[in-house]
Amino acid sequence: MAKIEPGMEAMLDMYFYETNSLLEQLDEILLRTEQSNAFESEDIKEIFRIMHTIKGSSAMMGFDNLSVLAHKAEDMFFVIRENPDVITDVSFVYDLVFQVSDSYKAQIESIQDNVNGEYEQINFDELIDKLLKAKDKLSKEASGESTADDSASSGNNSAAPVGGDGKITVRVFFEDGCQMENLRAFLLVNTIREECSSLEYYPSDVETNPETSKEIIENGFLVTFPASDNKDYILKLIESALNVQSYEVLSAAETPAEKTESSAAAEVPPEPAKPVETVSKPVESKPAASAPAETSAEKTQTAVEKTQTAVEKAQAAVASATAQGGSQKQNLISVNLAKLDALHDIVGEIITTESMVISNPDLEGLELESFSKAARDLRKLTGELQDTVMSIRMVPLSGVFQKMNRIVRDMRKKLNKDVEFVMEGEDTEVDKSIVDSLQDPLMHLVRNCMDHGIEENVQDRLDAGKPAKGTLKLTAQNSSGEVVITVSDDGAGIDPEKILVKARKQGILVKPESEYTEKEIQNLILLPGFSTNEQVTEFSGRGVGMDVVKANVEKCNGTVVVDSKKGKGTTFIIKIPLTLAIIDGMEISVGDIVFTVPISTINESFKVEPEQILRDTDGNEMIMLRGICYPILRLHEKFCINTDVTDLKEGILLLVETNNKCMCIFADKLIGEQQVVVKPFPKYLARYDIKGEGLSGCTIMGDGSISLIIDTNTLIG
Amino acid sequence: MTNDVIKEAVAKQQSGDRKLAADNSVLGKVMTFNIGEQIYGIEIQYVLEIIGMQRITKVPHVPNYIKGIINVRSKVVPVIDIRTRFGKPEIPVTSRTCIITLSFNDTSVGIIVDNVADVEDIHTGDISATPENKSVNTNDFIQYMIRSDDNSSSTKLILDVAKLLDEQET
Repeated sequence: MAKIEPGMEAMLDMYFYETNSLLEQLDEILLRTEQSNAFESEDIKEIFRIMHTIKGSSAMMGFDNLSVLAHKAEDMFFVIRENPDVITDVSFVYDLVFQVSDSYKAQIESIQDNVNGEYEQINFDELIDKLLKAKDKLSKEASGESTADDSASSGNNSAAPVGGDGKITVRVFFEDGCQMENLRAFLLVNTIREECSSLEYYPSDVETNPETSKEIIENGFLVTFPASDNKDYILKLIESALNVQSYEVLSAAETPAEKTESSAAAEVPPEPAKPVETVSKPVESKPAASAPAETSAEKTQTAVEKTQTAVEKAQAAVASATAQGGSQKQNLISVNLAKLDALHDIVGEIITTESMVISNPDLEGLELESFSKAARDLRKLTGELQDTVMSIRMVPLSGVFQKMNRIVRDMRKKLNKDVEFVMEGEDTEVDKSIVDSLQDPLMHLVRNCMDHGIEENVQDRLDAGKPAKGTLKLTAQNSSGEVVITVSDDGAGIDPEKILVKARKQGILVKPESEYTEKEIQNLILLPGFSTNEQVTEFSGRGVGMDVVKANVEKCNGTVVVDSKKGKGTTFIIKIPLTLAIIDGMEISVGDIVFTVPISTINESFKVEPEQILRDTDGNEMIMLRGICYPILRLHEKFCINTDVTDLKEGILLLVETNNKCMCIFADKLIGEQQVVVKPFPKYLARYDIKGEGLSGCTIMGDGSISLIIDTNTLIG
Repeated sequence: MTNDVIKEAVAKQQSGDRKLAADNSVLGKVMTFNIGEQIYGIEIQYVLEIIGMQRITKVPHVPNYIKGIINVRSKVVPVIDIRTRFGKPEIPVTSRTCIITLSFNDTSVGIIVDNVADVEDIHTGDISATPENKSVNTNDFIQYMIRSDDNSSSTKLILDVAKLLDEQET
């Protein structure tokens, strides 16, 4: 057991948030690049940055094991970064980094679950060992293929100068938070300059450009000097220099390009007054521009100045680019969800109050031109306010989708199934609470598709006339106030026979087998305790899972439907209403109770003639409309309300539709349309199954009284 | 007030120690109200506010003592009729009928009472435990009693808010 450092508790939340989002970012980069099996230099830089930030913040929080782990991963990436094109086989790196990211998550989770500041410290020794080995392997590979390096290091814009043969490059890291790294680096250069016959360093304009501090913090400060110099003494100088935290000696292959440079370096005497921009390669982003400048620099002083301006220009461009990136990040702030919820509640109340004011009974019958105008303006503004607040809570689904991508990747390896993962519409935005509750269901569905859906045997696929590579597709889209998410595979599909057999065995059939339609059979798999998989595997088969899917989706008023064709594949369709809180409602009265029906579910409302009414043998009333027969539900009977209006022709019928099912509900009269804020029933009433009776919540109306919201879905079902 | 405090107070009175028995310090405050002739009390820390009787929206499929829900400053609060809860006949609403809203563990509930009487101090010396005999229905909801000096008819029954609000969950 380890203890969280006292005084750090306050920072924990921030740390978790930051580290988790960094890890998510890392996963995303890895998944994106894994396909091409080669790192883009930008990606490597990003990974480096992530590892470094995690290292720093973990060390600050006192989580040493995490800090060390990140440090080793960083080391490994350093080798890759220095030799981006040399290292060809990096597939094992992916596994390793995924492992690192998983270990991180596990440790962070255990810290999050801490009891009185005590948490289980995970031992990362084995993983660290692996990282070290990988690093050695990579650096060996890098030095082995020296010739391939030359075009790479001169052409690649991310590579920092690395000493060639006969030169030694040292990477120096300064203490975390010592500040003004650029000046400290410059002091260091001055300290060791005496001992070196020639000296290169990167970033090269540390003296004048404070922006370089960032670069130094992230990637260290690189110093290169000829091997012929007194290496041990210089290293000692570096070690003893002020604020130096650590240094490492890097060795890299010589390249022709660097050779010319080193000779150039020898020609220009290292003087502090005349910074040695000419010898380093700071303008990597513009190699073409810097090359001629470099040659002229050897000739004249003015040329040196020219180079300097060129260098500065290039660096200014880089700086502005990073500044842009930086400011983009600063445009985002993280807000506590509780505050958003509070804001959301207030807006809901404002809308209610607005209705109270505008449709105040005192105003009835008055001609108030100016008031009506002001009221219209107010309504418009509150509408905008509501939209904005709702949009604040909207987040794209991409985060969840990326996690699924990760799951598919892992299972692909473990199950040895060749599956392509396709995502569509991951930028669809939904309410934050929906995103959170979607994660589990999607994970179960994806696992199911991978494990049960896609055929075990490639030959089976080929026989069925399908490509050997399976496809798992995750899509999201907005359609008419709902977000529709589908998870589909092109695997074996669901065999209704098998399901029936299994269902019979488990005794979950509620009516004679012959009465089940294919769709109903397929949806049996959503019931708790149902699993057709013969074996319990690591991923699925215990029969929990699908009911979790159903429960979670239903929690946010959504629905799950299975659509499967044997031999063709399976599709799970999840539909969830986009906004949970504010709906357009139609107020209807029954007796002295006012109900609200969501307008989106109402198809039409109409008066009825007695001759349209049919009765079945049980006396249930039905109505024939345009050749289709709909059942009639009398609300006053359903909810046991006393009302004078019991004759169908006195009241009004509403034809409502949800999930392609229709019915008519009978009410006394329509009152009017109103935007209402859905409020859940009070906690005290939660023990009674009100929701199961067809009421989804309540709302406060303009006059301050309460109306009950009808959930047509359960009412029909 | 916790049961321990009550036990301690009762023990003090029954102990032979004159000094302890004479301890009459104030333990808290109760709000008293009437239901019929009987005076009940609720410890003041549970009381949110007293509001006049208002229109209650009925909710289907709940026990008969839950009268429905009301809107208390944009919060939806369920209302319990204490009379019905204690098996007493309903009486017509008068101008003195009130709803007292209570809060316990984030659960808010309103209770309908005949009228609100007073707010008074709880003295250690006045506390007495409820009889062990649990045959009487209402005893379940009475945490302790407060005796009155002048006459026995004004003994106040202090409601156990936790039980009143959480009964079915335990």
